[in-house]
Amino acid sequence: MKNNTLLEINNLTVTYKTLTDSVVALRDLSISLQTQEALGIIGESGCGKSTLSYAIMGYLSSNGRCDGEILFEGENLLTKNQKQLMEYRGNRIAMVYQNPYSSLNPSLTIGQQLDEVTIFHRKLSRKQAREKTLEALTDLYLGDAEGLVKRYPHQISGGMQQRVCIAMALLCRPNLMILDEPTTALDVTTEAVILDIIGELKRKYSMSLIYISHDLGIVNKISDRIAVMYRGEVVEMGFKRALFSRPSHPYTRALINCIPRAGVVKEEVRLNTIPGYVKRRGLQETGCPFVDRCEKRVPGCTDKYGMMERDSNHYSACDRAYATDVPDKEIKALKISKEIPQPEERILDIKELYKHYRQGGTKIRALDGVTVSLETNQVLGIVGESGCGKSTLGHTVSGLLTPTRGHIIYKDKEISVSWRKRSPEILREIQLIFQNPGRSLNPSFTLETLLGRPMKKLLGISSKKERIKLSRQILAKVDLSEEYLNRKTTQLSGGEMQRAAIARAFSIAPNLIVCDEPTSALDVSVQASVLNLLSELQQTSGASYIFISHDLYVINYISDYIMVMYLGRICEYGKKSEVVGPPYHPYTEALLSAVPDVDPSLDKNTIRLEGSPPNPTQRIKGCPFAGRCHKKIGKICDTTPPPRIEFSESHFVYCHLKPEDLGAV
Amino acid sequence: MKNFLLLLKQNPRAILGLSILLLWILLALLGPSLLPYSFSQMDMDNQISRPGLNGHLLGTDALGRDILTRIVYGSRSILTIALMTSLFSSLAGILIGFTAGYFGGFWDTLFLRIMDIVMAIPPLVLSMVVLGILGDSTIASLTIIVSIAYTPATARVARGALLSCKGSEYVDAARIRGESDFYIMFVEILPNTLGPIIVEITARFAYSIMMIASLGFLGVGLQPPTPDWGMMVIENKSIIREAPWAVLYPSLAIASLVIAISLFSDFISKVMIHEK
Repeated sequence: MKNNTLLEINNLTVTYKTLTDSVVALRDLSISLQTQEALGIIGESGCGKSTLSYAIMGYLSSNGRCDGEILFEGENLLTKNQKQLMEYRGNRIAMVYQNPYSSLNPSLTIGQQLDEVTIFHRKLSRKQAREKTLEALTDLYLGDAEGLVKRYPHQISGGMQQRVCIAMALLCRPNLMILDEPTTALDVTTEAVILDIIGELKRKYSMSLIYISHDLGIVNKISDRIAVMYRGEVVEMGFKRALFSRPSHPYTRALINCIPRAGVVKEEVRLNTIPGYVKRRGLQETGCPFVDRCEKRVPGCTDKYGMMERDSNHYSACDRAYATDVPDKEIKALKISKEIPQPEERILDIKELYKHYRQGGTKIRALDGVTVSLETNQVLGIVGESGCGKSTLGHTVSGLLTPTRGHIIYKDKEISVSWRKRSPEILREIQLIFQNPGRSLNPSFTLETLLGRPMKKLLGISSKKERIKLSRQILAKVDLSEEYLNRKTTQLSGGEMQRAAIARAFSIAPNLIVCDEPTSALDVSVQASVLNLLSELQQTSGASYIFISHDLYVINYISDYIMVMYLGRICEYGKKSEVVGPPYHPYTEALLSAVPDVDPSLDKNTIRLEGSPPNPTQRIKGCPFAGRCHKKIGKICDTTPPPRIEFSESHFVYCHLKPEDLGAV
Repeated sequence: MKNFLLLLKQNPRAILGLSILLLWILLALLGPSLLPYSFSQMDMDNQISRPGLNGHLLGTDALGRDILTRIVYGSRSILTIALMTSLFSSLAGILIGFTAGYFGGFWDTLFLRIMDIVMAIPPLVLSMVVLGILGDSTIASLTIIVSIAYTPATARVARGALLSCKGSEYVDAARIRGESDFYIMFVEILPNTLGPIIVEITARFAYSIMMIASLGFLGVGLQPPTPDWGMMVIENKSIIREAPWAVLYPSLAIASLVIAISLFSDFISKVMIHEK
């Protein structure tokens, strides 16, 4: 057993010295990794996952300090100097980072960058290096490797860039590959393909993997064992089946419960949340790191603490996940306030909407004839890969973009004009919530100004006292206390910022809110609370949402109707239960199949979409999805626009297949 | 502010720069009332007197005027003009650069071309020619001319800072709230660009000192008998063999002030931009 251990980390503590104090990023952390094993590391952001990978690679910044030992094949990496570390880095331990674009050099061709690795580490000649490069690229299923080596990073898509990065890491046949959120910046469909490839390469080259992610579904898919990190400590570690089916630590259980998954919808339950946020850890704190947010805490939790084997090979610092002395927090179904049957009138009518714009001389068809409508008190979810036009649609509705052609009719008023030409009344009634609250809330202002300004501008409330009073009420609605009024956004956590952004949108009683990926920059625990808040506010205020997301489960949770878009066109539209179940459009099916699931017992049938949506520059004659469709019939898909197949009054798809062929594969 | 002091403590060069600058400001404010001479007073018995002799700490020039007194009086004008110049050129730069960058398109191109033309003429040459034509320079004319000469550079910095913020989603949020362009530029964007702009103002301060000293040296600065550091260097050049101090001390004054401001400006840029 001992001989099989590739990496052993004992009592690793990493501290960062900052201007004013010291912060513990990792504390007394011990993990081990066998050869050919994949270890998944999960935890919210700020839990020290990336610090761990940097510590292993010896890449800590200069104010970081490591204590303990990192044994790689029995050698302590922490005692090695930079030159000795070169033997390991990139050679025997390789790393793949989150953002492929910034890890590739934009001024070198892909071939040059990859050759360099083996020329440096293996002292190969240029010709031998190029052979290795081509071999590695072929391993990653990058067709036309010969052509690819001559291109520059910006000429290929993000998914391909990440595959090139993995090929680069693979070049020296490392024993250990560390992957730090390699698919977070990518679409689910691309992610699914990359995860498949990583799993295959691991088997082929007998590598060990450390896979870091905040997404439990991905980790579940790729790893054998899983370590859960919280505030710089491993709180639970075990084989994935045991860990996911019966977690021992309350944190693990809470994390698993946060994720919206198949079949979880707002009508039935609220999502589980973890109150509070990940705080920085001081040097002196003792006891369980999770105690302040734990619903199962008892007085003893603040002092005694330590990892114990709970089950065979299942270690945990706590076994109170299912403790019965503290009752489970009741997850109430959301009360639906429909005592007064509201007349379902149309609030928004989008007719044949086109948006074309020029990018460096080529015409991009971002929206290509979209027709959809929305009723009061309804949520329309729009889903699709990046570049499918979902954000463009949201921005044309909110007035940031002007459509090229077509109509947007809001309550019988034509509003297909830009914000400059909209009346204050329309501007007030249609609000937009952005993806990144850190960028959509001006960092120079306090919440008082941020919330007060729209009231002054659009509601015409000139008294400052009145505005503060209203701001307090709205803050209470989004679960922020009054003291936040004097804070700037830089003093808020990600979840608090998004709450503030939601408060701003709701502060002026809008009727239609466009939510543009409001949860994709957030941790799962925070995403859950934001989704709860959004659906609660929607049902109590009676507003309608256009909810844009790339995550089908999130869309499924919050929406009433779902629209699946591809290349600026509608593929499928219907009530959510109609869209997520068969019969469905092949694209919907592929999207559903790509989402990694947390339940280890589920084995999904796998449809893999190669590549990414093409740039919509050409006028598409046939079905936009034909190029990547797994059910493509033949020439007709490329030449003739697909007919509309109606399954019910509300549910339709655009496809050439016969209705009976649109079931599950 | 607490961080600012903490960082200052760790940065001895910034402390040095700041102390020299403060010393000059103090001298400019209080110096004249402490000194026994006036700047034009000629000590006929002690022409070209060595430093430290006959009650002249830094010696006298060919006309018997006290060098120290003239340097102290000269610091008043040079500090005033440089401060005003850096402020005015930055203000004008913000206005022009923001307008061009915000509206983009034709206005931006027009702005860039005009700025290119102005920048193609070295600021020193531009100021010299204009001041030469205008005749006797005053504090006001010097300030205006040097400000104009420096505006293209500050406008470019302001435009760049604006462009880095213009794409932010808070700008979009303000637009669909129906805010005016003026409000978006100066209330939403300006506070977020203050870092690079303040750095530019401090750096511009140091440049202005050099420029004014150079103009004085070339004879188009403040007119005699008003003491001017650059002018002191050139008018005492003829007696450099007999009285090197008469050239050395004004030169040192210019150098110390420029270096002090540069050190401080480096620190400001570290605090305002790199530490963020």
